[in-house]
Amino acid sequence: MAQLGRAALLLSFALVAYALVGGSLAAWKRRRRLALSAQNALVASFGTTLVAAIVLWVALARRDLSFVYVAQHTSRSLPLGYALSAFWGGQEGSLLLWLLVLTGYASLAVLLNRRTRELIAWTVPVLGGIAVFFALMLCFVSSPFATAASPADGAGMVPSLQNPYMLAHPPLLYLGYVGLTIPFAFAMGALLARRTDERWIVATRRWTLAAWTFLGVGQLLGAHWAYVEIGWGGYYAWDPVENAALMPWLAATAFLHSVMIQEKRGMLKIWNVTLVALAFCLSIFGTFLTRSGVVNSIHSFSQSPLGGWFLGFISIVTVFSVGLIYIRLPLLRAKTKLESLVSREATFLYNNLLLVALALTILWGVVYPLLTQAVNGETRSVSKPYYDFFLHSFGLPLLLLMGIGPLVAWRRASLRALGKTFAVPAAVSVVTGAVLLALGYGSSTPGLLAYTFSAFVAASIVLEFVRGRRAAGSLSRLVARNRRRYGGYIVHAAILLLAIGIAGSSAYQTIRERTLQPGQSMQAAGYTLTYESLQTRQLQNAQQTSAVVQVSRGGSHVATLHPGKSWFPVEQSASNDVSIYHDPRSLGDVYTIADGISKSGALDLKVLVKPLVNLVWAAGFIFVFGSLVAMWPDAVEQRKLADRYAAVPV
Amino acid sequence: MTLALVLGGVLAVLVVVAVARPFLREPAPASDTLDEPGELERRRLTLTEERDRALAALKELEFDHRTGKVSDEDYRRQVGPLRRRAAEALRALEPRAEARHARVARPG
Amino acid sequence: MIALSVAAVLAIFILYTSIAGAGTPEIGPSTVGQHAGEDVLLVGTVVGHVAGDAHAGGMRFLLKDDHGASASRTRVVYSGSVPDLFRTGRQIVVEGTLRNGTFVAKPGSLVTKCPSKYTPAKSKA
Repeated sequence: MAQLGRAALLLSFALVAYALVGGSLAAWKRRRRLALSAQNALVASFGTTLVAAIVLWVALARRDLSFVYVAQHTSRSLPLGYALSAFWGGQEGSLLLWLLVLTGYASLAVLLNRRTRELIAWTVPVLGGIAVFFALMLCFVSSPFATAASPADGAGMVPSLQNPYMLAHPPLLYLGYVGLTIPFAFAMGALLARRTDERWIVATRRWTLAAWTFLGVGQLLGAHWAYVEIGWGGYYAWDPVENAALMPWLAATAFLHSVMIQEKRGMLKIWNVTLVALAFCLSIFGTFLTRSGVVNSIHSFSQSPLGGWFLGFISIVTVFSVGLIYIRLPLLRAKTKLESLVSREATFLYNNLLLVALALTILWGVVYPLLTQAVNGETRSVSKPYYDFFLHSFGLPLLLLMGIGPLVAWRRASLRALGKTFAVPAAVSVVTGAVLLALGYGSSTPGLLAYTFSAFVAASIVLEFVRGRRAAGSLSRLVARNRRRYGGYIVHAAILLLAIGIAGSSAYQTIRERTLQPGQSMQAAGYTLTYESLQTRQLQNAQQTSAVVQVSRGGSHVATLHPGKSWFPVEQSASNDVSIYHDPRSLGDVYTIADGISKSGALDLKVLVKPLVNLVWAAGFIFVFGSLVAMWPDAVEQRKLADRYAAVPV
Repeated sequence: MTLALVLGGVLAVLVVVAVARPFLREPAPASDTLDEPGELERRRLTLTEERDRALAALKELEFDHRTGKVSDEDYRRQVGPLRRRAAEALRALEPRAEARHARVARPG
Repeated sequence: MIALSVAAVLAIFILYTSIAGAGTPEIGPSTVGQHAGEDVLLVGTVVGHVAGDAHAGGMRFLLKDDHGASASRTRVVYSGSVPDLFRTGRQIVVEGTLRNGTFVAKPGSLVTKCPSKYTPAKSKA
């Protein structure tokens, strides 16, 4: 069946190459039938890529070890779910996932926007061009369908990937990364077609929002995976691979905000196309980082031939978009100007600058080792203090802006009016800060600032809803009349929870380590942990040894934890099994790691007490809910837009 | 092996049909040109967007004024120019829009 | 306006990087001698026998360069959490300072470059 997979990929390559060449020709020479044919090619390429994907999935499910890819990433004893997730466990498979998602998105975009004849005609070749790169890699550089004589058993899967989160985290991340392609392609299509209107923004508004949501949720799932599986007690470590997803997310966040200014005021056209190109380049760069092994990371990868190809592709995309934006500059110049530095537009602008600055400093940190290597031959890398510095200096002002922005009116706000609207949130935040200081939370300045700002933001969001409700009559009517605004506020609330959770679990955590004999206890932040005994268990493909640890607080028993280690014979490696007690009272966790288990039965127990950490995960649900509210189609708005574009159907 | 070949062949045929379909359906079309917005249409599109923007801004200003975010003084200063802009866009779009314009401009 | 703000942000940024001299050097056992007393990231492959207990008195092992034929070895003493994948033959990164010929690692700074998250070890077949 490997031949079928290879043939399907070759067909995909031919189709997207046709979409690129035929589509360009059609748009340039204005050939209607050719343009339609190029669109069909893009849709058909989804079909052929899907066939290739199904071939790989079937091979993985059947553990067909004659596929090199299957032999390298699974073993006969690997549970079926994880065998299927090996689809994105390796390089070739994840490239295939990229192409699958890309052609899927592209087909959907084509089918939804067939009526925008001219815009879509120019967008199709851009989408085709991007797909050509991935199809080229899959057909000629890194094929998932290479075959060899079947080995007795496969190499298995790295134990830390054998986790349910790995079923969802990578695909969601890819849905996000690839999703950013669509707004990019439409923006470039609009520029190529010399369109100055906002059709491309209207067409891609939901794509951007959806891609951004996927990227956000994907990262949060990845963080949770790291938290429960890697077993060092944290969820984010500024690793290049993690940063790879954070950078495009930040750029997309900036774009989501600034695009509103273009819609409302017709300003910032140049900035918006630049941002959408930046977000796309960063998402390609993210894929490149996780695939090339060019930067060391805890997830480090062996050097792969893909590095050079990716670098070439990123260069082409960058030169193409910068060049195109430059050529079209005269079309993009705005007629309206910023009226005042104290206005909603201005706060959006500050927010944009901070977000982009944060994304770029992270980018600088990621490429720093490469630059120093190139400049003076010695690799130097930056670590946590560098990132923390910028997270504090750009992130805290961003947090504050999240509270200020909604309170400021569009165009121009007089200071008197501002004073009135700011009074309540400011008072709430000052009181919160004072109370926290009195309670002794001044031990961490960033933590204290984060909480004081959070109180401000929370008060301003509540105020917005309360006053809006009073004016609109009911909450549902309020949200219905402006879903994007109030969905946005819900997302803000989620980010707020995230900030509170991060600040709580990092600035105020307690770490204790001790070697315990059976029967001994240790203390950590008010909890008593008693080590009782060891137990062993045989799992499907691993052998597990775990300790029985009783947790009590204030003399009463609250939980029994089982931190331990598992040994995977096929993979010849061990995995930490952390055990966590979620304390409903403090919304925090008691996180236990069995660092070492000696033959005599002694246990090296590491305990982390992380207050408020569960807010980080709760934020994920609210984030999705808010995004859905903002994305939900609005009948009135749809009618208005249909009316607007009915007159000019191109 | 042969099954794979047959399936691959079927796939290839389907793909060619899909790509050739626009030409098969219209072997000799009356016109094969891709529509392109003319100068007039581009202008109209920009004006429509301008109109929608002004109308949305007015609506939002009203709402913000009602919730107390925009003070009476700021409201009075901004509502005039916004109404004028909306009216201009409407007038440029269709001369007969005077009636609608009057409806929009009525205070309250 | 935009340009001005961008410039201001960049200025803060450049100021910080130049003052902090950002970054810890990543070096291998063959060149660590030149950085005695400095805080560095030591990158290398574990060779020979791993002795001692990371939770009692410290774990001791030797590191060699990942690439190249350099014969130099660096003795490392480490305490704290040991990653699951740590063992002889693995590539690791550890932060610390070279003192009197022994690399004293910061507790808990040991990181293994796992054979990979994305590209596992070569098939044993």
